[in-house]
Amino acid sequence: MSATSAAALFRRRRLKSVLWIGACGIFATAVAVILLLIMGYIVREGISAISIPFLTRLPRPTGISGGGVANGIVGTLIIVGIAALMAFPVGVLVGTYVAVYGHRRMSQWLSFLADVLAGVPSIAIGIYAYTLLVEPFRHFSAFSASFAFAVLMIPLVIRATEGAISIVPRELREAATALGAPEARVVLKILVVAARPGIITGLLLSLARVTGETAPLLFTAFGSQYWELRPGQPMAELSLQIFTYAISPYADWHAQAWGGALILILAVFVLSVLARLSVLFGREGRGHGGTA
Amino acid sequence: MATGEQAYEEDALSDLESRRRQLGAGLLRGGAFAVALTMAPAAFAATQIVGAGSTFDYPFFSKAFYEYTAKHPDVTVNYQSIGSGGGIQQFTAKTVDFGASDVPMNAAELARTKAPVLQIPITLGGAGIAYNLPGIAKGMHLSREVIADIYLGKITKWNDPAIAKLNPGMKLPDMAITVVHRSDGSGTTYIFTDFLSHVSPEWKSKVGTNKDVQWPAPSSVGGKGNEGVAGLVKQTPGSIGYVELAYLLENDMAYALVQNKAGTYVYPTIGTVAAAAATKPNVSSQDFSIVDTACAQCYPISGYSWVLLYQKPQDAARGKLVKEIMTWLVTRAQPIAKTVDYVPLPDNVQKQGLNVLGEME
Repeated sequence: MSATSAAALFRRRRLKSVLWIGACGIFATAVAVILLLIMGYIVREGISAISIPFLTRLPRPTGISGGGVANGIVGTLIIVGIAALMAFPVGVLVGTYVAVYGHRRMSQWLSFLADVLAGVPSIAIGIYAYTLLVEPFRHFSAFSASFAFAVLMIPLVIRATEGAISIVPRELREAATALGAPEARVVLKILVVAARPGIITGLLLSLARVTGETAPLLFTAFGSQYWELRPGQPMAELSLQIFTYAISPYADWHAQAWGGALILILAVFVLSVLARLSVLFGREGRGHGGTA
Repeated sequence: MATGEQAYEEDALSDLESRRRQLGAGLLRGGAFAVALTMAPAAFAATQIVGAGSTFDYPFFSKAFYEYTAKHPDVTVNYQSIGSGGGIQQFTAKTVDFGASDVPMNAAELARTKAPVLQIPITLGGAGIAYNLPGIAKGMHLSREVIADIYLGKITKWNDPAIAKLNPGMKLPDMAITVVHRSDGSGTTYIFTDFLSHVSPEWKSKVGTNKDVQWPAPSSVGGKGNEGVAGLVKQTPGSIGYVELAYLLENDMAYALVQNKAGTYVYPTIGTVAAAAATKPNVSSQDFSIVDTACAQCYPISGYSWVLLYQKPQDAARGKLVKEIMTWLVTRAQPIAKTVDYVPLPDNVQKQGLNVLGEME
């Protein structure tokens, strides 16, 4: 009697397991299919718009062929680049502090605040940047957009850094301390170095997160049809340009919007792949014991 | 790499030192680059005039200013389409040299600027009545009353006798009407509801004229922007919606002949919208409605878009430049409008615009 009930139990458990694994498989496939459909559609619509002139020329009005998004691409790089210069140091330092001194009340507050900040809608951060950096000077600027992006990126970098450092084995820290290394050295040369792949992944993902944001740019970077490299001036940005073209009535602008979208998707794809690779190579690097 | 403990220590120190030096050099280089960029004005010597507002104006402005800069390489005009409401807001905050709005600023909005404002009609638009009925690509006639009754929810089927009477011989299907409107506040909605208020007392008392209203028809669905309404109408058989002329022409949509006050049925075209505008040469920001005009060739759902300027710009030199650009835009640039499916201002309205510009200091 007990033997048959054990067999029945086993069968039931196996059935459950098969059902759950099957469900996981089905939903995972569904997600992958949706992603592939979106990517495939953007590639199909966008690939015909992409050409050398499209990548190297300024935008042109509808009806005049040969317009490009060169200023938008460069503008995106400048805006995101300045945002990274602001967000990376702050985010990594705060994240390190929170991870290393997690028991202190200050770091619990910082951690909580980072979570709250991560939940603020990007358009609200855009308005904040506008109120702080545009309205008082009566002047739109790429810098104000970078500031908004930096505010969006900081909580992500904090969380990623904190996560990466907290999974460094406790024994490493203890061993270093036991050998007499001062605290600063333990943190900078052991914890941060060991966590570097994870931190770099976090930085790249935070870049991917803001690349393609449009809402915070409307009232900050503003957009431009011209070449503009000065951070103090209104600047073109790729996703803004896509937005403007996509809501227009004209087929030639729609095609360029698809082309721009494809470039953005590719940029985010490359960032995500780099983030993956940094984890893989990071692991190998640590295995060889190198510091550089 | 290092072998002994001591060597490791030294190596780590020198490593740190060399990295510190590298970082310093990098910062220096970055700094020099940044300085070069800030100094760059020499390379980009053009004065940039900044404007913002109406999405509707964007294609016309982008083409007009493209040609202006081609003629005057020392001036660029950066106009961005952030919406009419945003345009008024940025104009009031003085972050732009000029604003643009599909509906002129009202008294309350003007009070917020705390400075005299000039509003100039800059281009014309018309809202076409687009529909999606399988097999009927052309020739749908709609009277003023029928359009109002459809949007009031009183006519709910395409084979309603009121529609059939206007379209003898047309095989109207027994299909429910889906009413499509704008979900965002919009100048096109203002013009359309202004038209409905003119032709239907019931609409005027129940709903009224505004950039955004409570749509009474039970079958209403909203789309964001002209592109949203056009998209919904294209996808929904049995639907009807009001869409800006340029979107109709560029998207190959079916749209109706609309009856005007004179009784004739007219398509929205560059000519019929201009005819409606020409009936009112003294248009001003206080009295700007050109819906339901009475001439035989007038398209009844027409309206202006406006440029907003300060009478006394803070920076006199920039103000002078803005005045020059606007003078050109309201007169010699008008033929450009046609090339992007926009309606050029009639001569008498151009003169009216110049009169208002004359007040600018």
